[in-house]
Amino acid sequence: MKEKESYHRLNPTWCKGCGLYGVFDALKRAAAALGLEPEDLVIVTGIGCHGRLNNYFHAYGFHGLHGRTMPVATGIKLVNPRLQVVAVSGDGDAYSIGLGHFIHALRKNVGLTYIIVDNRIYALTEGQASPTTDFGMVTLSTPLGSKDFPIDGPSLALAAGGTFIARGFSGEVAHLASLIERGMKHDGFALIDILSPCVTHNKVNSYDWYKKHIVHVEDLPGYSPRDKAKAWEVLSNPEKIAVGLIYEEDKPSFEELVLADREKPIASLDLKVDAPRLGKIADRFR
Amino acid sequence: MIKDLAVMIAGKAGDGVLFTGNVLAKLLKRHGWEIVTSRDFPSNIRGEATCYTVRASLDKIYGLGDQVNILLAFDCEAILAHLPEIAENGIVFCDGQGLINPTPEQTRGKTFHRFSLRALARERFGQEIFKNVMALGALTYVLGLDSSVSDGIISDMFLERKGEEVVRKNIDAARFGYEKAREITAETERHPLTKRADDDRILISGDEAIGLGALAAGCRYFAAYPICPASEIWQWLVHYLPDFGGAVVQTEDELAALNMTLGASFAGARAMTSTSGPGASLMMEAFSLAGMAEIPAVIAHVQRLGPATGMPTKSQQGDIMQWIFGSHGEFPRIVLAPGTVGECFDLTVGAFNLADKYQCPVIILTELDMGQNFRTTRTFDFLKVRIDRGKLLSPGELMGLSDFKRYEITADGTSPRSLPSWKNGVHLAESLEHNEKGYRDEDPLNRRRMMEKRMRKLDPAWPDLFPPRIWGCQKADVGFIASGSTLGAILEAMEQLRVKNIPSRFLQLRTLWPFPAAEVRQFLEECRDIFVVEHNFSGELATLIKSQVSPCVELKNILNYSTLPFTPKEIVEPVLRSRR
Repeated sequence: MKEKESYHRLNPTWCKGCGLYGVFDALKRAAAALGLEPEDLVIVTGIGCHGRLNNYFHAYGFHGLHGRTMPVATGIKLVNPRLQVVAVSGDGDAYSIGLGHFIHALRKNVGLTYIIVDNRIYALTEGQASPTTDFGMVTLSTPLGSKDFPIDGPSLALAAGGTFIARGFSGEVAHLASLIERGMKHDGFALIDILSPCVTHNKVNSYDWYKKHIVHVEDLPGYSPRDKAKAWEVLSNPEKIAVGLIYEEDKPSFEELVLADREKPIASLDLKVDAPRLGKIADRFR
Repeated sequence: MIKDLAVMIAGKAGDGVLFTGNVLAKLLKRHGWEIVTSRDFPSNIRGEATCYTVRASLDKIYGLGDQVNILLAFDCEAILAHLPEIAENGIVFCDGQGLINPTPEQTRGKTFHRFSLRALARERFGQEIFKNVMALGALTYVLGLDSSVSDGIISDMFLERKGEEVVRKNIDAARFGYEKAREITAETERHPLTKRADDDRILISGDEAIGLGALAAGCRYFAAYPICPASEIWQWLVHYLPDFGGAVVQTEDELAALNMTLGASFAGARAMTSTSGPGASLMMEAFSLAGMAEIPAVIAHVQRLGPATGMPTKSQQGDIMQWIFGSHGEFPRIVLAPGTVGECFDLTVGAFNLADKYQCPVIILTELDMGQNFRTTRTFDFLKVRIDRGKLLSPGELMGLSDFKRYEITADGTSPRSLPSWKNGVHLAESLEHNEKGYRDEDPLNRRRMMEKRMRKLDPAWPDLFPPRIWGCQKADVGFIASGSTLGAILEAMEQLRVKNIPSRFLQLRTLWPFPAAEVRQFLEECRDIFVVEHNFSGELATLIKSQVSPCVELKNILNYSTLPFTPKEIVEPVLRSRR
């Protein structure tokens, strides 16, 4: 256990009331609960309002390109599996431009925690429709209402073989922190999809709206995150949005399968040139 | 005495042309001959015409030459397609019953033999597939080669994977082919080759040499998406990197391949990716990120014929501008172009040191002709390989710093680096414009200072870059400028010109960017007629020279945008024409 303020670098300047404040706080709480040293945590972010997180959070960080958090984070994790690697994306980053990367990192079961802060809008660019925007919603890019049907990240993840699928709400920070903490402990890919209001550009999906529409799976009698059929059932409910740990299973992580020895990170290998050994390899071309 | 000879094996994709060609190349190499191979094959697995040429010479060669002395064809169409390439006194073996109706003109001075390889293989061994090793045996006879050497190669190829029985059967088939060739070939038709000591040489493709260079240089993370003709780098490394403690990862696309390489490099690995054609276009996005976040990365680009999907199995040099001027924004990058397989190794080792030292992307730009074909070279000197990680600090050095700044503005433009998990080195790798600490900063003065810092990084790089190499005469009116695998044809063209009393020299550019303007300017001043030889349509290299050397003398372009690499003749003729 560490003091959560040991990860605090700067006070954020997101819009007052933005869901990202809750995400920022929950991430600090989860890291503190696990007692992570700031140098052992790497936060990889994409492009969007969430991308400012690196400026406020004291840890190693990689603020890359729009949609490309997954391959960057995978490269980091494989080279040094001792690191706690957390990727953070918005709905545009993860479910639009980076959707292909998301599915593949997930099916490889790379040991990443992927926090997707879903505000159902492109906020940084002033409010265009995103892949999770409600059908019919009027936005800057859809003045006549969105004609696209929204996609649901956790359902995609379940179909693609996800091994840890959770959804939180940035209005419930303690609950969210516990999901992130469990995700970080999961040996494999952990998805934390977060319902996160944008107070400036999305007047529909507000804190109150979410409070009325969410249901906690832990409150459902007999719910087990190990039961895939149940997971499908709650994810397909048109009335209620399921939050909590929706699904979990054990599968070997990508690092475990690909690396010869997770305790000998590629990052700390001695690169000394072994000329006799290389000479023997070259002899195969004789 | 024969000093130089080319054998072509032709057929349909799936016939086993590749197998026969590969073994023949190794067989000739083990007889002490210098080898260059060339595969001309379609982008499919079965059914379309394919051919494999093995050229052997007592002299050092780098290219394929102009003609074929022996053609062994698994079908008749191949004969008609390749007749014009067959030399005087050439010999042609043809399997199959198709129509061959060459005119007497076409056949003059050449010998044709029907050689029913398939039928004989079926009859004797019950399987057509043995025709390939029979063909090898036949060529062993015609070329007067040592059967025990070919037995050894067959054994090396099959013993471990398929066992003794398969080895024995294949050696029998080779012997059978040898005897059958003896029955149908007159002694005077043979092309007997001498045997020399096979000294300290290897037979290797450019892609394999890049892989071996990467392994020696300490590359321990490789991420790529399958693409012709770059996959061989990966397919070679995948057998070795895990044993060296590293990892090879197949990504979902080339966007991921380069981004993953950057993540791996940020975390401390010497990391690399490889690609070609459309894959390179997808990498353009992250290429810019490597420049902005100052992350070392090595990208091997084995050029194929474009645009678009183009012709994935044909060589070209049409992507030079893409790496030198490509992607959004301005950032330093280094582009290297090996002209020999030895340089594929040396420049790859150099690329990793340059990437670490100058904290920027380094491109090894080669072509299918270099990447996929095999050439003999002296074996690589691993004792000479040095690893220089530049300003990567050690955890101890980092602890001694009072204020670590990842993007510190330094006189030489390069800043100290720390790795995740190292105390006192926490920083942000940032794709937004950032301050010295790595955090986003839109201040105009900061922008100017950071831009200048990045853009001056390569100013002191000259001693570490690969200078152009000058081949040929000390003084000559005719000068060639080129880069990459056109080298082989140019060197032979120079020899053919020398025989005609036209001396020439050749400036081989091995670093394309930063551009070696001083050396090029001097070369331009020393020659009267400059020919820039390029395997592309628009003369990208000549355009580059004109943009970097000003004022620039007139440059004549010798261009080839066909599906096949240059022959020496295609370079000699325009030079002769220009002198008329």
